[in-house]
This record gives sequence, C-alpha cells and structure tokens, in this order.
Amino acid sequence: MFTRLSTAALVVLLACALPAHAQDWTFTGGDGETVILDARPQRIIAHQDAAAGLIPLGIRPVGIYADSAIEAAKALEGLDLSGIEIIGTAWSEVDIEKAAALEPDLIVAEWWDRNSAWSGGADIARTLSPLAPITGVAASNSIVGMIEDYEALAASLGADLDAPAIAADKAAFETARAAFEAATAAKPDLKAVAVYAGNDAIYFADPAGAAELLDLQSWGLDLITPGGVDSAGNNYFETVSWENADKYPTDLILVDNRSAATLETALAQPTWTLNPGAAAGQVADWPAFWLRNYAAYARELAKLTEVIDAADASVVP
Amino acid sequence: MLGLPGLAMALLAVAILSLTTGARAIPYDMVWSAFFSFDPAATEHRIIWDLRLPRTLVGLLVGAALGLAGAVLQGATRNPLADPSILGINSGAALFVVVGVAVFGITQLTTYVWLAFIGAGAAMLVVYSIAALGREGATPIKLALAGAAMTAVMQAIINAILLTSPRTLDEVRFWQVGSLAGRSMDIALQVSPFILAGAALAFLTARLLDGLSMGEDVARSLGQRIGLTRGLAGLAAVILAGAAVSAAGPIAFVGLTVPHVARAITGPSYRWILPYSMLMAPILLLGADVVGRVISPPGEVQVGIVTAFLGAPFFIALVRRRKLAAL
Amino acid sequence: MTILSLETIAIVRRQRLSHARRVTFGLLSALLLACTAAMLLGDFPVPALDVVQSLFSPLTGSANRSVDFIVLQVRLPRLCLALLSGAAFGLSGIIFQTLLRNPLASPDIIGIAHGASAAAVFCIIILGWSGLSVSLGAFAGAMLTALAIYLLAWRNGVTAYRVVLIGIATAAMLSAVISYLFTRARLFEVQQAMAWLVGSLNAARPEDSIVLATMLVLVLPLLLALVRGLDGLELGDDTAYALGTRVEITRLGLMLVGVALAAFATAAVGPVGFVAFVSGPIARRLMGGAGRGVPQAALVGALVMLASDLAAQHALASVQLPTGVVTGGFGAAFLIWLLIASGRSGRVN
Repeated sequence: MFTRLSTAALVVLLACALPAHAQDWTFTGGDGETVILDARPQRIIAHQDAAAGLIPLGIRPVGIYADSAIEAAKALEGLDLSGIEIIGTAWSEVDIEKAAALEPDLIVAEWWDRNSAWSGGADIARTLSPLAPITGVAASNSIVGMIEDYEALAASLGADLDAPAIAADKAAFETARAAFEAATAAKPDLKAVAVYAGNDAIYFADPAGAAELLDLQSWGLDLITPGGVDSAGNNYFETVSWENADKYPTDLILVDNRSAATLETALAQPTWTLNPGAAAGQVADWPAFWLRNYAAYARELAKLTEVIDAADASVVP
Repeated sequence: MLGLPGLAMALLAVAILSLTTGARAIPYDMVWSAFFSFDPAATEHRIIWDLRLPRTLVGLLVGAALGLAGAVLQGATRNPLADPSILGINSGAALFVVVGVAVFGITQLTTYVWLAFIGAGAAMLVVYSIAALGREGATPIKLALAGAAMTAVMQAIINAILLTSPRTLDEVRFWQVGSLAGRSMDIALQVSPFILAGAALAFLTARLLDGLSMGEDVARSLGQRIGLTRGLAGLAAVILAGAAVSAAGPIAFVGLTVPHVARAITGPSYRWILPYSMLMAPILLLGADVVGRVISPPGEVQVGIVTAFLGAPFFIALVRRRKLAAL
Repeated sequence: MTILSLETIAIVRRQRLSHARRVTFGLLSALLLACTAAMLLGDFPVPALDVVQSLFSPLTGSANRSVDFIVLQVRLPRLCLALLSGAAFGLSGIIFQTLLRNPLASPDIIGIAHGASAAAVFCIIILGWSGLSVSLGAFAGAMLTALAIYLLAWRNGVTAYRVVLIGIATAAMLSAVISYLFTRARLFEVQQAMAWLVGSLNAARPEDSIVLATMLVLVLPLLLALVRGLDGLELGDDTAYALGTRVEITRLGLMLVGVALAAFATAAVGPVGFVAFVSGPIARRLMGGAGRGVPQAALVGALVMLASDLAAQHALASVQLPTGVVTGGFGAAFLIWLLIASGRSGRVN
C-alpha cells in the first residue's frame, strides 16, 4: 500500500513537473483507469490471455501467470514461450518473489467488467499491484475488437505492427473471415447452435455471452439464442436434460473445444443424435472464450468454413 | 407390516415412476408402447430405451449394492457407522478418477468405472487397517474418524490436482456429486456382474454375520473363524460399494441409513436385514432421483445431493434417539 | 516413608516441569529456525544481512525499496500469518480433541471447517464476493455450523459421542452443498472457490495478521480462564456430571473458544487441512504425560503451518502449491506414523 501510494505520488509529481515529456507512457485500461509511467514499460508480466494477445504482436512478456498448468492453457497453444518465466500455474496462485525478481514495469491482465475484476483471480491482481501498475484491455463483445485493443496496447508498448509476420497473420485472418462470410452467405437458411456437453446435461450457449459467437453472428452465421438465459447476470448457458437434446434443432452444432473431452462426451450420449445437425454429423469446433490473436482465429475460422461449406442447410425443415 | 412382497411392489412402483418421470413430458401410453410396440423412429421411445431405462436399471443396481454394502459392513465391523462414504471408499474412488482424468486424459464414464473400482478398494483397505490397529480393534469411533481423516487426506490430493488442471475440475465436478443422469446401458452391463457376485457373497455371509453379532467370543466358541467372516464380508462390501460408486459417483448415506431402517423392521438377523436392505435402498435412491428430476425445472438436482439431504437429517435423528454403539 | 514419598513426588513434579520446559524450548528453537528460513529463502535473492537491515529499516530509514518490499511486504506478513493461524488451528484442535476425548476429533473433521467452506463457496459462487467479505461469510458459517451441531447434540447435556457423530453427518451434508454449488457455477468461479477451499498464504497482507492477532488477543483470556476445566472434562461425561453443572458451562465456553479460534484462522487463510488435527497429538506425544500440552499444541500448530508453507513455496521449483495441499500431505504422513506407533504401544492417543 505504502509503496503504491509513494509510486503514485512520484508519478503525479513527475507528471506535473514534466507535462510534455516525450517519453511519458500512458494507457487507459479496460477498467477506465489511466496508467501513467515516465518511460515506456519494457518488462511486462502478463496473465495468460493477455500474453496470448501480445506475443503474436511482438510484445514478449518477461513473466506469465496462467490459470492452469501451462500446457493446459488453451489460449497459449502454439505460442513460443521460450525465455518467459512462468510465475503461476493455478488460479489465484502466483509466486510474488519470482514476480518481484523480474522487476516488472507493468502488469497486463484482462478486465472483466461483469465481475469488476482482473482475469486470473481477484487476489492475484491485489498481490501483484504493489510491484507495478496493472492495466489491460477489457473483455468485450468482439474478439476482433479485443485483438484491435491489443494492437493499440502493443503499439504503445513499441510493437511494429507492420512487421511482415504480423501483417501476414492479419491478412490470413482477413482471408479466412471473407471465406467464412461467403460460406454463410451461400447458405442463408443454415441454423446453428453452440453447446457445451456434460455427462449430466447439455448446455446451450447464449451468443451474447461469448465474444467469438457474436463475431460469427455478425459475419452471417444464424446462431440460436436459447431461453432461460440472462447474459447480463452471469448466466449464459441454458442447462437442458439430455432427454430434451433436440430442444433447439439446428443444421450445425458448435461444440466447446477448450477440451477435446467435451465432444467425446457429446458423441457418447444416446440422444445426441436427436438433434438433426448432430445426426447428420454437421458438428464443428466452438473456440470458446480463448481466442486472442489473428493466427488462432484464422485457423479456427478455416475449420468452421470447411464444415459450413460441406453442410446441408436443410436437415432442419 | 411391509414384508418383502410389499417392498418388491413398492420398488416396482418407484421403477415405473422413474420410467415415466423426466424432463421431457412423455404420456403413459407412449411409455407403454415403447416396451410393447417399439418404434425406432419415435423420439419418445428412444428416450425411454436409451435414457430412462438405463438410468432406472443403474439406479436399481446401485441402490441394491449400496444397501447391501452398508448392511454387510455394519455387520462385519459391528459398527453402526460403517458406510461406504464414511469409510473413505468414495474419496478413494474419486482420487483414482481424478488421477485418471488429469494424468491419463480419460474422459468416458465407462472408463471411470474401473478406476473408481480400484480406488474404492484401496481406500477401504487403508482405512480399515488404520482403525483395526491397537488393542481395542476397529471400534466404531475409530473407524468413523479414520475414514473421515483419510477422506480429508485424499481430498487434499484431489484439490492439488484440480487446482492446476481446470479441465479435470470441469470433468470431475459433475462426477463427484453422485448422479444417475447420463448413465448408459453399457455402465449397467459393466457393473452388474460385480454387483451380482457381491450380492451373492453378501448373502453367503449372512449366517456368519449373525454369529458375529452375538459377540466375537460367542462366535469363536461356536467354531466360527472371525477373520474369515470379516474378510469375506469386507470383500463383498468393497465389491458392492466399489461398483456402486463407479457407476453413479459417490452417493452418501444410502448405505448408512437403509440398514438401520431395515433392522428396526426385521430385528437383528442378517438373513432378513440383507434382503430388506437390498429392496429398500433402491426405493430410496430411485425415489430421490425422481425427486431430483422434478424439484428444480428445467434443470435437475443430482441424486447424491437429494440423498445427502434426506439421509443426514435421518441419521442425526437416529443418533439423538439412541446409543448406536451396540449392534 | 512419608517423607521419602513426598520427596519422590517433588522430584517427579520437578522432572515433569523440566521436561515440559525442554519440550517448549525445543519447539521454540525449531520455530526460530523455521522463521529464519522463511525470512531468508525465496525466489527473490536477498542476502541475510540485507534482510536484517530491512527489518530495521522502519527505524533506520529505508535502505532499498525492492528489498524492503520483499522483506516487509511479502515475507514478514506471510510468516506472521502462518504463525498466528497455525497457533490458532493448533489450539482449536487440542481443545476439541481433549473435550471430545478423541485424538481425531478436530474441527476440520467434525464439520466446523465444512461450515466455513460451504458458506465461503456460497459467497464466492452465488453472491460473487471476494476478499474480506468471503472471510466474514466463512466465519459466520463456522459459528453457525458449530451452534447447529451443539444444539442437535444437546439432549440433557451433550456427550462427546453425539457431537462427533452429528458433526460427521453435518460435514457430509455441507459437502453435498459444496458439490451442488460447484455444478451450478461457471468454471472460473469454481476455480476461485477451489483456491479458497484449499487454503493459501499467498495473498497474505500485513492487515490480515493484525486482524487475526487482535482476535486471538481477545479470545486468549477466556481460554486461560477455562483451560483448567479441561482436566475435569477429560475424565468423561459421567465424572463431569458428578462434579456438577459448572462443567457444562465450562465445556460450552471451551467449545466456543475452540470454534472461534478455528473460525478466525479459517477466515484468514482458508480451511487449511490437518493443522488442527495433527498439532494436539504431536504435542501430547512430545509432552509424554508431563502436562496437557495446550501451549505446546499452539507452538506445534505454528511450526506445522510454517514448515508446510516453506515446503509449498520451495519444494518444487516450477510449481507453486497452495499451503493447504502440503498440510494435507503432512496429515497423511502423521496418520501413518500414528498408526505405526500405536500398533506398537497398543493405543491410539
């Protein structure tokens, strides 16, 4: 507390003394707070999702704290983490001394407006905040929007967004998006629903609760909004008994792919095929909640486009 | 007076209730025609055959297994508290399932069955050895507390794994409640040989348990081999309770409460307590499952929660009413 | 003859006293060692001299900001919280174990920790709370559960047997509540709840220690006033009744103190498993009949907590485990040791 106050005082002092200093760094985070530093931060500690947003843009954190063992963190899949210290591998648990030893200038997490909290656990943000100011983009209604926010953050941190690799990722994404839009436009009657499958019940997702589903919707995919959900109130799945697996008959079913087990569980249910889309085998991956960069998004969109191209849009009369 | 035929009728009634009650409204005549003029194209018929029938069968098997396991354990240990959940069998099963999911990436209920089965046996062995050491042997309170302590130890290990593997947490949180939902016919077929064998073994020990209930000295003077009796009964209990927890997840208190009710009706002879328990436990379990299906629409409350909330108050009332040490 | 036996008694008494002193001294030395380790070890390398310098920096003026942060804001609060919560768990454990005349009847077994846990999980998952409000909820949950167990076990007085059995039944019911809430929540909320349930010193702040210390200071006089009553209660319910109704009040008072200690510690660090359970029996074994071992149990509790936390932080380089995971493993090791030792002596106590 003391350290933070004195840092803040120092910052204010500096800001007053040198109002037009060229090296001032400011960023307004998703929480609405503006972080002001006297120099551009070089050493960043990032939550796994923020790291997944920043690393492909050329900003490499010095430390990452994850919600799980690092190999289980879906958002970090395929990213080069060499040389980055892992300072946390469980929710709410971070090695504060390792963090301090990294001498961070900035902590980057994601702001969850709905819970008024930083991602990774409420305690972590509190534990790390004495080391450096915390900021980050807000979890929003569009993954593309979030990636653009990450671009702005990365640019302010000194990233060269025109670098060939980054530009290529973006171009690949734009191509994938155009292909996806063409695929949905070609099948205007195609109806889809996003689900999570458990052994006890099937959970129908409200697109309003998942940014990537809202993206897909805006690119022409007709996604069903289930009943009994309240996206504003943290409840954006409708829990339905497997007896009513055909409650929302659709041509296409998107299955949460955070874990491969979810699809296996779905396929093992005898009533899975009550839904005509499932019976026709028109099932695709729903990259649920974890996309944070263009490369991963392009990969997932390409898979979806392939399924939609091959799908029969009239299995539901 | 209920009597075994009366109980069998009640069980049949609950089974029919279980076939006709569910999230999807299916008229009675449809249930009837599902059995006597099955139409594979009719969704309702498929739901009866694919969901409600396996669920009901698993409920019957698990209920009977839990009732018998509880009765045999109580007889063998002469301990009114001997229940699979209290003796750590459930957490042993949970520990093995968690390790299986986290380390070996196992995801299907049919594989959980084997893991849970082995874990249950191992845990039971450890708890019993801890409690049986010392001059006074496995006293009720030592068994109960050794079980509770081992449960806490195993829970700590489970927690360590679940904390670093959200995926395992996501899988296991639904298993750990104890539920009959989503159980397929495969699971009923997988566990039924074990439950049948365990039940046969349990009934074989009934006479020995009666001998034991007169006291170890009396039993010994009648030429009975106490260790053998305990071993056979323990084996039956582990097979039954292990099969039950592997099929439905940990379900608390059915095995504990039902034999007490049976004993109150039949008197102290295990030749009667065992069949009564075997019929009464599935009535409780399936009944609780039906209650769980309708109590909070459109979702369901898992049977493990309903039984804990029916079982624990009953048990507390029992503890308040009499001293349980004497069996 | 008489003179001789009086002398013998005096010698025995002196021997006991000196044994108790030795045990206390040994525990204090071990604690000192653990405290030194806790202050010196860490992933942020700080030379020993700098640690000492930093400890006195509030008097001498700040020396090095980052070292002061590690020493005064990270290691010291964590150390203090470990000592205070460990001592509270240890005291609570030995009070229950003595009252209920059973070495296994600690508050983390007979439902009080489950009450705190169920309440905390409810606060986190249903109410969306975090931080201090969860701690307050857990505290209320522990107190209410203890009250419920006591009232349910009351039938012309309470017997140890009934308290234990009803406690275990209550624990099972509360576990079902937790399982139910887990299936009704989103994964990250379940993760948040799990992190709390396991119990950790990771987020220890100076304020936490100050609050907990204040609470302990408030409860201790009551404990000191009542602790003599443990002797009478330990003889058994029948003897206790024969000694009069004051016994019931003493017992109620001691239970209240035991519950309050467990509840305060749980609110501060979460339901860290097995510290309450192991401290009493270890203290008694060390004392070997030289006393009730109540203060020694507090020392053992603090030592177990601190040692577990050290192991949690430094045992595996790549993984930081919450403290609660290690104390569970420690409990298992203790259980096996108790098992082997009692197999030889023929008694579990």
